[in-house]
Amino acid sequence: MASKRVGLFVLLQLLALNVVSQTSAFPTPTASADDKTVYNRQLTEERPLQEQIAEADSVKAALQSAVSKQPTAPKDSESEQGDDFTMLKSLADGQNPKGAPEGPGKKEDQYIPDESDSTKSRRLADDYDSTKSGMDYDDPESFRQVDGTPLTAEDIVQKIANKIYEEDDRGVFDRIVSKLLKLGLITENQADTLEFQVAEALQDLITKNAKNNEIEDMESVDQETRGEQDDLGADADAWEPPRRRYNEDDEEEEVNDDDEIVDKVDRDAEQDVDGADNSWDKDKEEGNEVNPEDGLQDLQYFPNFYRLLKSLDSDQDAQERETLITIMKTLIDFVKMMVKYGTITPEEGVSYLENLDAMIAMQTKNKLGKSLVVPDISGLTGKNLDEDDNTKSETAKMQKEYESLKDSTKEEQQPSAETSQPGKSETYLEAIRKNIEWLKKHNKEEGKNDYDLSKLKDFMDQQVDSYIEKGIIAKDEGDTIKRIYSSL
Amino acid sequence: MKPLFSSVILGAAVLALAGAASTGTDSGISFEYHRYEELRKALVSVWLQCPTITRIYTIGESFEGRELLVLEMSDNPGKHEAGEPEFKYIANMHGNEAVGRELVIYLAQYLCNQYQQGNETIIDLVHNTRIHLMPSMNPDGFEKAASQPGEIKDWFVGRSNAQGVDLNRNFPDLDRIVYINEREGGANNHLLENMKKAVDENTKLAPETKAVIHWIMDIPFVLSANLHGGDVVANYPYDETRSGSTHEYSASPDDVMFKSLARAYSMYNPVMSDPQRPPCRKNDDDSSFKDGITNGGAWYSVPGGMQDFNYLSSNCFEITLELSCDKFPNEEMLKNYWEQNRDSLVSYIEQVHRGVKGFVRDLQGNPISNATIAVEEIDHDITTAKDGDYWRLLAPGNYKVAASAPGYLTVIKKVAVPFSPATRVDFELESQLERKEEEKEELMDWWKMMSETLNF
Repeated sequence: MASKRVGLFVLLQLLALNVVSQTSAFPTPTASADDKTVYNRQLTEERPLQEQIAEADSVKAALQSAVSKQPTAPKDSESEQGDDFTMLKSLADGQNPKGAPEGPGKKEDQYIPDESDSTKSRRLADDYDSTKSGMDYDDPESFRQVDGTPLTAEDIVQKIANKIYEEDDRGVFDRIVSKLLKLGLITENQADTLEFQVAEALQDLITKNAKNNEIEDMESVDQETRGEQDDLGADADAWEPPRRRYNEDDEEEEVNDDDEIVDKVDRDAEQDVDGADNSWDKDKEEGNEVNPEDGLQDLQYFPNFYRLLKSLDSDQDAQERETLITIMKTLIDFVKMMVKYGTITPEEGVSYLENLDAMIAMQTKNKLGKSLVVPDISGLTGKNLDEDDNTKSETAKMQKEYESLKDSTKEEQQPSAETSQPGKSETYLEAIRKNIEWLKKHNKEEGKNDYDLSKLKDFMDQQVDSYIEKGIIAKDEGDTIKRIYSSL
Repeated sequence: MKPLFSSVILGAAVLALAGAASTGTDSGISFEYHRYEELRKALVSVWLQCPTITRIYTIGESFEGRELLVLEMSDNPGKHEAGEPEFKYIANMHGNEAVGRELVIYLAQYLCNQYQQGNETIIDLVHNTRIHLMPSMNPDGFEKAASQPGEIKDWFVGRSNAQGVDLNRNFPDLDRIVYINEREGGANNHLLENMKKAVDENTKLAPETKAVIHWIMDIPFVLSANLHGGDVVANYPYDETRSGSTHEYSASPDDVMFKSLARAYSMYNPVMSDPQRPPCRKNDDDSSFKDGITNGGAWYSVPGGMQDFNYLSSNCFEITLELSCDKFPNEEMLKNYWEQNRDSLVSYIEQVHRGVKGFVRDLQGNPISNATIAVEEIDHDITTAKDGDYWRLLAPGNYKVAASAPGYLTVIKKVAVPFSPATRVDFELESQLERKEEEKEELMDWWKMMSETLNF
């Protein structure tokens, strides 16, 4: 069939492009800068306090480095080193949770938030004193948080994790660790523990953001953690023990079981779903050619799909899993292609994939007699056959839906669908977001209280209705806009 | 669950968009051609981004049913604020002259962005002006022109509306009437007699023309520009020659002001104001162009144009901007055209804040609408709007400004007008009845005094 050939061709092209863009898929300076601004924007709105802390610390570190006497460091790298040294100090704190009597600076004694934490910081002073007397890290400034209380070990680990997350650069950690090792402040073992803790904190960040509906973060940070894993593997075999521990000792972790499992599945699934990952990245970056909304839809459907995959994590199910993944990938590519050629609108692609995922959940629930929301790894290994049937019927269902969708939407093809602009939902969403941002900033500047979102929402609803009436906005666009506002 | 997913999709989509949007955009503006749907969506997006200072409305439908969309920008969109001048840009009345259409869209995005980024000039402009932007007066023609295959677009396809009417020859020819009145005496302004009737019953008017005429009648526009393509110059009234010849300088009473307005545009456009610029085509006659401006009639005679119609039927001063040698250039050129015209477009809007402006009221403080504002030695009067407010564009100089209205006594004031900003001149008019009453009272007083003195 011609369309199939076209489809395959397109698929090949997509894959080819994936390969090409694979090189740029990893955080390049510009890409990560873009991502960083995006992340920062999101982060600012999601977790302002963390941001402030990190900013305040880096500002303090910059000031500090300008002031403190660094015997060997040249002027240029001072600020960077200063920042890292702040990290170093913080790190050293985290390394030694077992108590020690003295505080690193006299001032610290005044700000003890809680016993165990302050003892951690005190330990650092001992290390410093006993190993390198020449080092002048007594400045207590760096141990301060924004509000003046000293940093706890958790804070420090968190800070490092934040820094890595924000800068999208595992090199931060490497720099710090290598310096610490060089200075003999920590042992190899302690470096391992630190890595483990930082990785843990990083995972926390990721899952936290994922929980806040930023599944995209999970995706790209997964890449990052994947990159991290690679790096860590290269460094020493230090990663092996933590990882094994990470996988096996679920109870020891402070992470929410659900998320942790999802993460683990992410990592597992990632190796299998490489191509799909790349195509999503490509979609993210390409934007103009293929509707990015569809590309990101892939991520959107992972909750249920992943849970399904996770339930197939034994060896015998590897085959099933492969099949499932291939099917899913193919389907998603088909939908993307249809959108690209204007056969269906992005909206339809979205709703189709939404239905798909909901169906997966439903089918799994029906077949397995339980919902996917409460995963239970051990219990599902015995349900291979059911899974098998489930996926086969799933596939059939998907194919059928796709067919009907394809047929029914052919007539609806609009000439204006062929546009190099992103889908209108994104444009509208982007515009609304800019407005909200401006309102927030504007009100802040004028000292007003927070703008009245509900009033704005009512006003916009009213305007949208009147515009629909006058033929300025289409009904579905109006609904989209109202939906966006109601979801704020 | 569904709405959550949607918001997740959209949330994720935003991040993708942010990444995607950074490619090929200039501070949030995407330089590409907009078909009708895309134009509509672009305007909606501007409105969504700046809902407190923008409003979209439509003045009617084209022949094929496309909305003639306008985006207005002001601190109080949707209403005329007393004393706030109204401004409009109309583009793409010739459907295949595409650059203006795009520039107006980019301008809308630009003004919204700049407003939110705290650009003082733009903020002031938006707060003190009501700006109306119509990217396309001839959306049907544009679709025809844009649908042509291949890179090179025809010089004519898509120029006229769907009925084949050249909209810039379709307006009632008031030039003819004013030329007669110049010779034989008669009104020098608001020459469309029985306006509503004349327009609605005129079968020769295209729906787009009708819609614009109604628009001009409804809103007291002060300044306007009409965007075209095919050459690079700022053209000002009159477009139609007095003698009927093909080339003849045809000055309007406000020739001085129009030259100033046209220059205010051309001087910020490096291509337009380049004295060394070669003509767009080898055999073009650019002899009438000077400093990037030209009188309409001196260039070539145009009867029934929208520019002169504005001046002669309403208070609005309009000029015609030709912005590109190529009527429908390649998309890659759009960014350049924006760069060339951005400052001009903003500067021209600022021109609306020149001359004299104010209110005409009676002695009780009630506004007098439709009062006449006449400037000595300029044979073109303007009228006050519903709130009694008026804006009389004038070049720097000393003037005598007279306000008059039927049943009222005329008041004349002397004004020294700088380049800008506009000078505020208010008038309180005494009605004739009041004067009669006054005189009567004076008489009575005198009689009383006389009788008391003479004891009768």
